Amino acid sequence: MGGVGVRGVLSGRLSVPQVSVLPAMEESITFLHSSDWQLGMMRRFLGPDGQARWGQARLDAVARIGEVAVSTGAAFVVVTGDVFEHNQVERQTILRACEALKRIPVPVVLLPGNHDALEPGSLWTSAQWQAHAPEHVTVLTDTKPLEIVPGVEIVGAPWRSRRPLSDPAAPGYAELKPGKTRILLAHGQLTSLSGGMSDVPTIDQAALEAAVADGRLQYVGLGDRHSTTRVTDRIWFSGTQEVTTPEETDPGNVLAVTLGADEIVVEAIRVGAWHMVDHRVELFDEESIQALEDWFAELPDKERTYVRLAGDGSLPLPLLSRLDAIIDAQGEVFACVERWTKFWTVRPAPDAADLDALQLSGPARAAMEELRQALAAGDESAGVALSLMHRLARDAG
Amino acid sequence: MRLHCLTLRNFRGVKDRSVRLPALGTTVVVGDNEVGKSSLVEAFGLIFKLPDDSKSTQIREIQPVGQDVGPEVTVELTLGGRELTYTKRWLKNRSTELTIVEPDGRRQSWTGREAHNEAERLFHEHVDPVLWQTLMVSQGQSLVLPTPADAEPLITAVTAESGTPVDGASMPLVTAVEHEYLRYWTRGGRATGDFARSEKAVAAAELTAAQAMKAMEEVQQDIRRAERLALDLSDVDSRLTDHLKSVEELRERKKATDEILLRRDAVRHRAETAQARLVNHTRTRVERERLLDEVERFAKTDAELAKRRTDAETVAKTAAETVHAAEAALAEVVELKDARRTDVQEAERRVSELVDRAELDRLLGQQAELVDVRARIAAAGTILDRIKVDDALVSALEDARAKVVEARAALAAGVPEVSVRRLGAEPVELSGTGVDPLPSELGFDESAELLVSGELVIGVPGQVEVTVRAGGEAATLRSRVDEAVRREKDLLKKAGVKDLAAARELLRKADTASAELQEARRTERSLTAGGDLGERIAVLTARLGPEEPAEVPNQQPAVEGVPGQMSLFEEFASPHDTLFEGFELPVGEPDDLAGAQRALEEARAELASVERLLSDAEFAAAQARKAADEDRSEAQNARARSELAGERLAAAVEALDAARAALDDEAVSAAEIEAKAEAEAVLEELTAVQEQVDAAGADQVAGALADALAVATRLQGERDTLRDALRTTEGRLEQSGRDGLATRRDVAELELAAVRSEHESLRRRAEAARRVHETLSRHRAEAQTKYSEPLQSRIEALGRSVYGPSFRVWLDDDLAVAERELDGVRLRVDALSTGAQEQLAIITRLAISHLVSTGEGSVPVIFDDALGWSDKARLRDMGALLGRAGDHGQIIILTCMPDRYEYVPRATFIKLES
Repeated sequence: MGGVGVRGVLSGRLSVPQVSVLPAMEESITFLHSSDWQLGMMRRFLGPDGQARWGQARLDAVARIGEVAVSTGAAFVVVTGDVFEHNQVERQTILRACEALKRIPVPVVLLPGNHDALEPGSLWTSAQWQAHAPEHVTVLTDTKPLEIVPGVEIVGAPWRSRRPLSDPAAPGYAELKPGKTRILLAHGQLTSLSGGMSDVPTIDQAALEAAVADGRLQYVGLGDRHSTTRVTDRIWFSGTQEVTTPEETDPGNVLAVTLGADEIVVEAIRVGAWHMVDHRVELFDEESIQALEDWFAELPDKERTYVRLAGDGSLPLPLLSRLDAIIDAQGEVFACVERWTKFWTVRPAPDAADLDALQLSGPARAAMEELRQALAAGDESAGVALSLMHRLARDAG
Repeated sequence: MRLHCLTLRNFRGVKDRSVRLPALGTTVVVGDNEVGKSSLVEAFGLIFKLPDDSKSTQIREIQPVGQDVGPEVTVELTLGGRELTYTKRWLKNRSTELTIVEPDGRRQSWTGREAHNEAERLFHEHVDPVLWQTLMVSQGQSLVLPTPADAEPLITAVTAESGTPVDGASMPLVTAVEHEYLRYWTRGGRATGDFARSEKAVAAAELTAAQAMKAMEEVQQDIRRAERLALDLSDVDSRLTDHLKSVEELRERKKATDEILLRRDAVRHRAETAQARLVNHTRTRVERERLLDEVERFAKTDAELAKRRTDAETVAKTAAETVHAAEAALAEVVELKDARRTDVQEAERRVSELVDRAELDRLLGQQAELVDVRARIAAAGTILDRIKVDDALVSALEDARAKVVEARAALAAGVPEVSVRRLGAEPVELSGTGVDPLPSELGFDESAELLVSGELVIGVPGQVEVTVRAGGEAATLRSRVDEAVRREKDLLKKAGVKDLAAARELLRKADTASAELQEARRTERSLTAGGDLGERIAVLTARLGPEEPAEVPNQQPAVEGVPGQMSLFEEFASPHDTLFEGFELPVGEPDDLAGAQRALEEARAELASVERLLSDAEFAAAQARKAADEDRSEAQNARARSELAGERLAAAVEALDAARAALDDEAVSAAEIEAKAEAEAVLEELTAVQEQVDAAGADQVAGALADALAVATRLQGERDTLRDALRTTEGRLEQSGRDGLATRRDVAELELAAVRSEHESLRRRAEAARRVHETLSRHRAEAQTKYSEPLQSRIEALGRSVYGPSFRVWLDDDLAVAERELDGVRLRVDALSTGAQEQLAIITRLAISHLVSTGEGSVPVIFDDALGWSDKARLRDMGALLGRAGDHGQIIILTCMPDRYEYVPRATFIKLES
């Protein structure tokens, strides 16, 4: 469990605003906000072994949320959508999820998201879930307010289909009146953050802010965005508990939210253990190879780290062989080291000295020369063949 | 290297033998089996290989059996420009001595192990072991084709000659490339090993992934279907709820309108009853009117039909009478026709009789003529019977006559002819024999010409007697004449005539009688040709009895007095009156045939006329019968119709009477009027009630309620169907969830990505290996082609001197001959005959020797027995080749068959004595 995030790691990035429209609360209350667990998710680039370890890591992160609940004194935990990767995940995933949920010692409220929508055949209505769901776990299947603790209501807008026709958050707070401490759970992209690229209706941020401003809502917990994201002081994406792609900017956190009479404190606490990293390199000489080697050496948590390499440049055949050897070796150490095919343009650049060093003559020399010329003319496969021949000649010599 | 001298002592069966070899040229070492030829080669190998203290079995084997002596070998040779004398003795008194004379004349000697080591060093320094093994052909190895690619001197030579360097240092790379290639590909270019397995793994993973994907697509479809069904169900539920509300409203309205509807139903019932009663009375009235009308109509019809019946019966009676009259007239004409037929028969009889009579007369004439003819036949037969002469006999007589004349002529010519003439009165007597004819005496002035074939005495009595005697042949001639005469006489006697003329006359008479006989017989046959005349005459006579005149009737037809329907008969009868009147039958029979035949013709004409009359009468009678039948039928019909009309009239009257008995005509009309008034009153009441129903809309309420209930039922059915479909789909989805289909799909895709990645990696490496292999192989093949060319051209040059200009060879990578072409036929060497293989092996070695001859690495070519498979012609050519090869190097041939090498020019033969 080394490397697990510790409370306060990211607190420096949080602001603690003063909000004057809060309804009167006698005491503050703390709860945890998480989302996008996506249990049962597969990452094919990890391979079967890496996949198994990563899958377990996602469950472990859930268990760590339980630890954080204890350490923060949280009254309950809300998960804003996509608890499961699919509605048709295997039984083992459901049972293990239930076991992980049992490790959270406070009430848990789950919101169906787009991945596990409350659609026909939904996991939430299945006999399997009904039979094994822990008692302290509540699934929001409608928009009726749930008084999770005295004086605090949770309202939610569960996804009933993967293709909602309108703002997926709106049903959760449409008919509310101010006067109660309410937490809205919703799932979906914000109009302001989607850049207009979403193919499903987005959540109207302005409407949300208005509801917060007029006191209908005191906190809006959002899901779907895997990176921890503050929208406003009271509107947050918690992000996924464990990283899922290298593109995510700040995954692996749970938010500890403390609502006071007129204030709110949101703290991101790391619970994820994995890293997914993109790394771009220019390779053209021995020094650049060495720099890459050093970079690998300095990375922490290698066995829980996926590296995607983007590379450009050209290398003499011996250095190319060395590069291959380095990547092969690091692939054994890291969870996975992968050449990013789309951005991998490292080419062999054999020169006469390479060939001379092999002390080949006659047909062997002529064959190698032919491959070298083909490569120079743009024949990529000739480069691979040339590298191979170079290695064979070197080993044979 | 050049071998100069080999000396063996106590070596196998050789006690002490030394063989000195020319340094250049071809040497044939000849010796019988077991003489030690092969030991020479063996000894050369051993001296450089095993030290003198060797305990090798090879050494023990060369020690003569049972002799405690040490095998010893001395070899003198040139090696690397040095002259070596090298002696080694094993086992007994072991020793090794090496003396070397350097090119500059310096001499060095070694003994013992040093000598061995130095000799061995020098040998390996200057003799390429591959080349040595290639060019030294042991016994029984002559068929083995050399594979000299690793012979360094040869490679040096071909490299020097072709200008293509052979990179021996690249061989490890070639091996490594080959090994790398075979990791991924078979030699045939198919994927193998991990690469092939990964291909299969990808295919299997693709299949699994596709199936998992398909299952998930079905789940998605089910989800969409369930969503759609839920929406539809909600819609139907809502519509059903709305609809049930309207059903309730309609039910309330219907309660309010039900009372007025009940009242309307009661009035409607009464109206229907009144209407039924009215209809009943109206029907009674109409029925009564119909009965009255019927009685009136039937009475009128009955009267009309009775009148028509009377008329028809009158007509039928008249027609029957007409038929009777026509049939009477027909009977009369029939009778007349019978009389005319009798007339015809009588006339025919008379004609026949007259014909018979004429025939009788003719037959009687013929009978008389026949009697006369038969008399003539008898007369002619008598004549012919008497005459014995015939044509043959006359011909024989003619021959006999000619022979007599001929014999006599011969006699006359051959015997004296004496002419005697009586001149005076004195009688002259003649006698003698052989004179023919010989008159007994001559009258006065009578002379006789006599031929004397015998003796003729002519005497005048008393005066003179002259005797004439015929000569020698006279008698013969005479006898011939006599024979001829006798023959003629016999024939004449046979014929019964006196001479030939008489015979000829008789023959003519016989011909005449014969002709007459034939004529008479022809006549007889002609007369009797028609049969026996007598019988025919008798038949005719019997048939012609006494003649009687026929009775000819002369009756007129009785046509008068036939009552009725006579017009037709009269029409055809009138013209015939003249016929009847003018008809006269013959009073007597005509006597002549012509007259009788005329009478017959007339009678026949009469008969024909009467037959036409009969036909007309029959037609008239048939017409009358037909008309009568029709009239009778018409009368019967009229009677039947009349009777039927009477019956119907009676029935109608009866029915009317019965109806009136029940209710008279006035009562019927009154009842109808009353019923009509009542019906109109109730109808008026119904109209008033209906107006009330319409005002309340009672009918529409009931219909609307029924419609609404039907719609509700339909909507409930729809809802149930949707609910069932939704449950079914949700059940499937529940099962899909239990099966974890999405996880399965993800796992399958994960697996597929993994095996694809693995396969892609393998594929890149496999393609690289193939590319390298292909490129290197191609360059090696090109190089091999170049550097094999010098050896190939040497082999072909030598081979052409044996096989001619079409000889070609191809070498493989090891520079071994792989294929040979001769006269355009290319074969692999293992497909060649044994002799050809051996010759090719020898030619190849000579070519190699030739190639390396100029270098320092050259070694002798040694054949321990060869050319055992070649025919004589090839031996000659191969011998010449071996001789020429000696011009460039040292060729040593060991053989027990020196004849094989007799064609080797300039060869040195060394005989090993046993």
